[in-house]
Amino acid sequence: MDYSSPLTEAIFYILLAVRAPNHGYGIIQDVNEMTGGRVVLGPGTLYGAINTMLSKGWICLFSEDKESRKKKEYLLTKIGREIFEKEVKRLNELVENAKKMD
Amino acid sequence: MLKFKLYYDKDAEEVWLREMSLKGWGLKKFFLGFYTFEPCEPGEYNYQIDLLDNWSGNKSDYVAFMEDLGVEVIEQWWRWVYLRKKAAAGPFEMYTDAESKIILYRKIINFFKIFLVIEAICFFMELTATIRTGNFVFGIFTVLLGAISFAILTVVWKCKWKIEQLRNEESRVS
Repeated sequence: MDYSSPLTEAIFYILLAVRAPNHGYGIIQDVNEMTGGRVVLGPGTLYGAINTMLSKGWICLFSEDKESRKKKEYLLTKIGREIFEKEVKRLNELVENAKKMD
Repeated sequence: MLKFKLYYDKDAEEVWLREMSLKGWGLKKFFLGFYTFEPCEPGEYNYQIDLLDNWSGNKSDYVAFMEDLGVEVIEQWWRWVYLRKKAAAGPFEMYTDAESKIILYRKIINFFKIFLVIEAICFFMELTATIRTGNFVFGIFTVLLGAISFAILTVVWKCKWKIEQLRNEESRVS
């Protein structure tokens, strides 16, 4: 699926959550906290989004704990950051224009 | 306990597995419509069914990822996987937004489409055999294959309907 602009909320928040190395469980918790429990990422949604973003080069594999074979950590890439910033610009435009309502 | 059931609709199957769990029976194994249950605390687990992208794929990666999130892969049958999570560990829904749900239903449609084509071909072959020979054995198979084809067709329709509903939901919020 094409996740180009506008980004889905899930993609937007996952990108934000991997600005520092983060693993699956950490991403879900961070997104949950950031949105006050509004955006909940299901395991399947997260798994699909991570794989799509890995193949697009928006995020990369940061580390893999070989011993437990668990807890892969993911990190935002330069492309990912550009995509995110482009989206923020679009959102800012929305907010700026929204002010005309008053 | 062993039960035999044929499900074409994974959403309905999930509901049934939850009901069984509430009655104190947790799914242990699945093969060709045969469900093996073992006793569990009533309501101990919630169940979800997922469809993997390909046959073999990177299954260990998937299993490890899910385990890290407190989700246990109980059984894999072909591309289908049965997952469970302790109810005490919070709600369990594999797909939480419209986009990823649509991707899943599209995957299911594509999965069943192949079978629909095969079943339909067999159905017409049996039908012509029945008409040509008048043999009632062919007739029985014709009815059987027709019923299976229709069941698969229903699933495809249902998935299409669900995608349509999700699209409407999406356009309302964005």
